[in-house]
Amino acid sequence: MSHGVPRVSGTATTSGKSEQARAKERQQIEQYKQLEGDVRARISAHDYSNASLQLTSKLLSQNPEYYTIWNDRRRILQHVFEQELGEGGKSTTAPQQDIDAAHKAGLSLPQREISLLIQEDLHFLLPLLKQFPKCYWIWNHRSWLLRYATSHLPPHATLELWQAELGLVSKMLALDSRNFHGWSYRREVIAEMEKLSGSGMAEKEFEYTTRMIGTNLSNFSAWHYRSQLISTLLQNRRADSEQRRSTFDAELELITRALYTDPYDQSLWFYHEYLMATLDSSNAGAQIILHPCTDADRTAYLSQELDSIREMLDGAEDCKYIYHALLQYANRLIGLGGHGAPTAEMKEWLSELRKMDPLRARRWEDLETKLKL
Amino acid sequence: MSLVAGPGRGGALDGQLPDELQLVAEKHVAYIQKLDTRRDELEYHLTEHLRLSGIYWGLTALHLLHRADALPRDGVLDFVLSCLHENGGFGAAPGHDPHMLYTISGVQILAMVDGFDELEKRVTDGKRKIADFVASLQQVNGTFAGDEWGETDTRFLYGALNVLSLLGYLPHQRPNEEPALIDVKAAIAHIKACQNFDGGFGVAPGAESHSGQIFTCLAALSIAGELDSYLGEEGKDRLGAWLSERQLDDSGGLNGRPMKLVDVCYSWWVGSSLAMIERLHWIDKKKLATFILQCQDPVEGGVADRPGDMVDVFHTHFAIAGLSLLGYPGVGEVDAT
Ligand SMILES: [Zn+2]
Repeated sequence: MSHGVPRVSGTATTSGKSEQARAKERQQIEQYKQLEGDVRARISAHDYSNASLQLTSKLLSQNPEYYTIWNDRRRILQHVFEQELGEGGKSTTAPQQDIDAAHKAGLSLPQREISLLIQEDLHFLLPLLKQFPKCYWIWNHRSWLLRYATSHLPPHATLELWQAELGLVSKMLALDSRNFHGWSYRREVIAEMEKLSGSGMAEKEFEYTTRMIGTNLSNFSAWHYRSQLISTLLQNRRADSEQRRSTFDAELELITRALYTDPYDQSLWFYHEYLMATLDSSNAGAQIILHPCTDADRTAYLSQELDSIREMLDGAEDCKYIYHALLQYANRLIGLGGHGAPTAEMKEWLSELRKMDPLRARRWEDLETKLKL
Repeated sequence: MSLVAGPGRGGALDGQLPDELQLVAEKHVAYIQKLDTRRDELEYHLTEHLRLSGIYWGLTALHLLHRADALPRDGVLDFVLSCLHENGGFGAAPGHDPHMLYTISGVQILAMVDGFDELEKRVTDGKRKIADFVASLQQVNGTFAGDEWGETDTRFLYGALNVLSLLGYLPHQRPNEEPALIDVKAAIAHIKACQNFDGGFGVAPGAESHSGQIFTCLAALSIAGELDSYLGEEGKDRLGAWLSERQLDDSGGLNGRPMKLVDVCYSWWVGSSLAMIERLHWIDKKKLATFILQCQDPVEGGVADRPGDMVDVFHTHFAIAGLSLLGYPGVGEVDAT
């Protein structure tokens, strides 16, 4: 699969290459096949030596998508780890400084060895991850190393490793805030850290999203992450109904202010819709903020937001997201009994949408039928 | 089969596209046929870890172009079965480790070339072994791992259900077998936990909605017979709205998530998802077809992710499958799941 690879004209086809370029490519193929053959032969022969490990490093640096070689690397590491754990007798020959260092770190000698090896491997992955931030297998390998540490090292040592991962993934997300491997990994890191430390991290993570949004309002994934944190946060705070309401109001105010600045930004509408969905009991994927939440609350908030969004139209009459939101929220108001539902305006909004969004003409047709305006 | 990008480039001849864009079907057939002859390119060797899926993509495209004969069935069968391991899993190529992704491709190819009899002839209890491999990867929380190393993803869950369904080993296909091979209820519960308020699904609970994951989750719900009952009309409207917003005004192409670039492969992920929830008419099919055709290399065949990029067999397959969904003339019908 090649994504976003522009063609450099004339160099892609073999026929378009010079004899010199072709000879060079033949040589590269030969070297690559030789390296691959060497690694595979060693693994078949159960040669789990350091030399074999180094060869997998070389091969994976050339081709990080070669998943079987990542498995081979883990076979080697697993073998080395098990040997460390198996022969406790080795400690009698260990230099005094290693014994002291292990003692100081609160680890047994084999544990310290394993911890060092894991850190070395994590280090090997760094440049690869920076070069290939969307390669599944690199992230997988990282996660495997951390999981191995978690099941074989004492919690205090593992927690330090996970802490370092949090730093790394924050850096990766600062470089590309939409990298979903990065976000998946962050969720894993946080879950593990919470388990190991026994304390929730929702508050800190919530602050993290506040900072990310502060740097760039148009950060879709940060808004998404924020949306996932609120209910946990409120639970951890044991928030009562008033505290829940003030959190909800604060979030609505935050996003409304942002929307007034740029109503054309989809990531902002995403968060607004998320907040409003928490009022929609028929939405299976919605989260809970207000608790309890009565129909009177729902009606009040829907009317309030309709008024506020209506004002956004001033100067942004060509912004289709505004009409989307107005229609959607007005429709929900109808669903609640219809008090104050602006049906005449809805007709107008729909006809504006149809004009400015011909790609989805049939969707608006279906909506018109459904709304029976 | 090579996964090598190029040689051609989608929409080659910089902007000099013909007025009447057409599907250059014969060129695509020739492009796919030639893929396995490119062993003198380094890329051919660097993409070996995708080989079996590459064959599946090429073969499906050929089927849809009514040219199933363009790759020799015997050769395909030999290659597929040479990727099968003793434990019932397929690797990407001979000697590569078994993984769910290639087991999906292997079984899909066998189904496409009507090769299950041949499988049983060459491997005793072949179907059963494959089914057992897949079932062994189910986790306590209902989801599936890709292999023994433990990575989980809703793609693998869908793949597991798809493979078992093709092999006839889903619990409802064998009501008298106790205990059931997998826990379908737990698998579907996991899918539901991946749903977001916007109607979409993410790679795991808490993850952002993504078109590829939406496809796998809908297809899994559909195989389990729960698509309509779970989503309902409201759920379909909500998801349909999100999916239809993936079509962008300027190019007519589809993106995979809000505020991302368009890409031909989403013609399939988004298009088939819309088809599964009966909302395919919510996008402009003609504009999408035009975008797909613009990504072709009209000279050497093959389709790229976007006009001007390198073509490859992955995007060639999803482009043709996308055109099939859109009912493009000359392209056979595809099953949305
Ligand atoms: Zn793509």
